[in-house]
Amino acid sequence: MSQLLRQATLLSCRAPITQSQRFRGKINIQRPRAPHYERAKVLAVAQSIPAVVEEPKKKTTCFQSRRRETNMENPYLTIIAREVRNWLLHSRMIGFYHMNSIKQDDLFPVRVQLHKQNMHLKSYGKEVVKKAVEGTQFEAILPLFESNNCIVFSTEQRVSQLLRITRRVPQMILMAGIVDERLLSRNEFMAYAQLPGLQAAQGELVQTLNMAASNLVQQLETHQKNFVNVLDVHAKGETNDGTTAPAATPVNEDKQPEKA
Amino acid sequence: MSIPFSGALRRSNGIISAISKELKSVNLKGVKRITVIFDPFAENVRPTRDFLSLLSTPKISLTNPNCVIKTDVVCNRQPSEVKFSLIDSAQEKAQVKEVRLLSSNLSTLELLQLLNKHVSVLAPVEEITSKVTTKAEKQKLSGGAGAKRATKKK
Repeated sequence: MSQLLRQATLLSCRAPITQSQRFRGKINIQRPRAPHYERAKVLAVAQSIPAVVEEPKKKTTCFQSRRRETNMENPYLTIIAREVRNWLLHSRMIGFYHMNSIKQDDLFPVRVQLHKQNMHLKSYGKEVVKKAVEGTQFEAILPLFESNNCIVFSTEQRVSQLLRITRRVPQMILMAGIVDERLLSRNEFMAYAQLPGLQAAQGELVQTLNMAASNLVQQLETHQKNFVNVLDVHAKGETNDGTTAPAATPVNEDKQPEKA
Repeated sequence: MSIPFSGALRRSNGIISAISKELKSVNLKGVKRITVIFDPFAENVRPTRDFLSLLSTPKISLTNPNCVIKTDVVCNRQPSEVKFSLIDSAQEKAQVKEVRLLSSNLSTLELLQLLNKHVSVLAPVEEITSKVTTKAEKQKLSGGAGAKRATKKK
């Protein structure tokens, strides 16, 4: 019984008691009545006191621009800066371009061609790159971001392909590049594209190292080789004529049973 | 006693308005070729690069479609410069073959001002060849053709 009563009182939703305050009358704002003493005390305590900002006299600051401290840190920029640093660290080849004005319509086919070569075209502003790069090894690229620019990142080192694609775009002007964590100027970048591959370069190095020894061997062998060649030619000439062909073969047949 | 109004009714945007004002009066008709040389790692290359971007906009390149803009990126810390090779008539007018702006110590606005002062002036003046035809002349021209057509129909 008591539980039922309790439930009834807790869950009850009776209609609220209403009492009308005013009916069709105009409200009074201009002549408010004096508050009760207690209410007046509370209002006095709750008054807001404006902050006292010490500004220098206008005479001294008249010709100085009055700009407040609005350099608030933008957390979005830190996120983008992290992304830029990620790209910089994980790309083996990076190309920095100065960008003249170009329609996005014209830029899109370039993006497509680059994408087919696993290269990604991005553009970032100076502030973001400064955040991403300050204190790291990439600090030297900051002067490239003064004016309009774009960057091409790639995880592979197809420098010649990149140059081939961007040569067709007059608005993209190559300024510098990074290959394998090494900053290259424009000329060096283009020279790198002309170089043969790493394996070919290593082969060349091996050849150069062996040149002294191989030279000596060659000098010793030349006379014997020449003699053998002359005999070869002579023998071939005689077989063509059709004489002494059987004379040539018995020499070989004699040799083979000896070896066995 | 009121003072008569003096001053501007509108506020300008400062340097941006100045640059756009200069850009409006750029005329490259007297130029055959523009060569911009800069080292991206040198100091104070920003005005040169900005100048290059501004010159390569379609509006300005339309003033002379025959003018070629060539960019030389060098790596020897050379001071940046902009060279305007003039066309023959402009060369005669100015007694020089080319105009060179050494831009290592100039700002973008100054570059544009110098360009307008020295190069835009040398653009050859175009003669207005369009003639205004009166109604009577037009009728004469079309009347002859109309009469011919009428006879053909018959």
